[in-house]
Amino acid sequence: MTVYDLCKAENFAPVVCPAAEREITGVYIGDLLSWVMGKAQSGDGWITIMSNINTLAVASLTDVACIILAEGVTLEQEIIDAAIQKEINVVTTTLSAYETALFMSKELKDE
Amino acid sequence: MKEISLNILDIAKNSVKARASLVTILLEESEDKLTLIIEDDGCGMKEDTLRGVCDPFYTTRTTRKVGLGIPLLKLSCEQTEGTFSIESRDEETYPDSHGTKVTAVFNKKHIDFTPLGDVAGSIVTLIQGDPDMDFLFRHTTPCGEVALDTRELRAQLGDISLAEFEIITWISEYLKEQYEEIENASPTA
Repeated sequence: MTVYDLCKAENFAPVVCPAAEREITGVYIGDLLSWVMGKAQSGDGWITIMSNINTLAVASLTDVACIILAEGVTLEQEIIDAAIQKEINVVTTTLSAYETALFMSKELKDE
Repeated sequence: MKEISLNILDIAKNSVKARASLVTILLEESEDKLTLIIEDDGCGMKEDTLRGVCDPFYTTRTTRKVGLGIPLLKLSCEQTEGTFSIESRDEETYPDSHGTKVTAVFNKKHIDFTPLGDVAGSIVTLIQGDPDMDFLFRHTTPCGEVALDTRELRAQLGDISLAEFEIITWISEYLKEQYEEIENASPTA
């Protein structure tokens, strides 16, 4: 599943997707940024509710395919601008982290 | 960071990189606030560098395009609705008074306040890692104070390195004993 495919799914919407063709190969869930920094894998869809500039930095460091903001969280314009500049995909969903993970698990298994 | 003691390690490492000779680490605790001050007499930063340090995409390292020590400390105190500030004087402009000072104020009663963790362990790790650098550590709480000044130790020890096993063990025990004492004490008015 690409980031583009995820954005088209029900309950999901793009916030900013400068590299929408990226393939999502796994999932990581976490809000403690220093922890995520050491655990998330390249290509993961990273589910979180943290939406500050440091979230983008951790996404860049870990090379995740996209940030998935759960529970309807979105980004401020300033952060969106930074995401475009750093080429970081950010998707939002109204689902909880648990429901998002269930959906992603099914999608990734079907491939 | 899961604990503030890990933040302290991270920030104090910057002082090592700035070739400081003395790093002062102060923790001031009241009933509802925790203030962390880390100050060094290292090379300091110029204004444009200083402006960048809170930006996680900025770093002085060339291998990584993001440096997260300062941004993560700033985030953890702002999550408790606390305040963060960093001041610096660079060596070139201030040859006699250069250095950097980081101040972070946490609201201890906020639900997102991360525990302090093993501060004594962090201090010991710092001394062990850079035994030639001096550290002044003081943790004041309503129940008393824990303090260590490696300059005083050095005056007693002469040429013996602080990283010697017996010395580092003694420092660790010394801090532990002081912490036990304030844990058993009741708050003084």
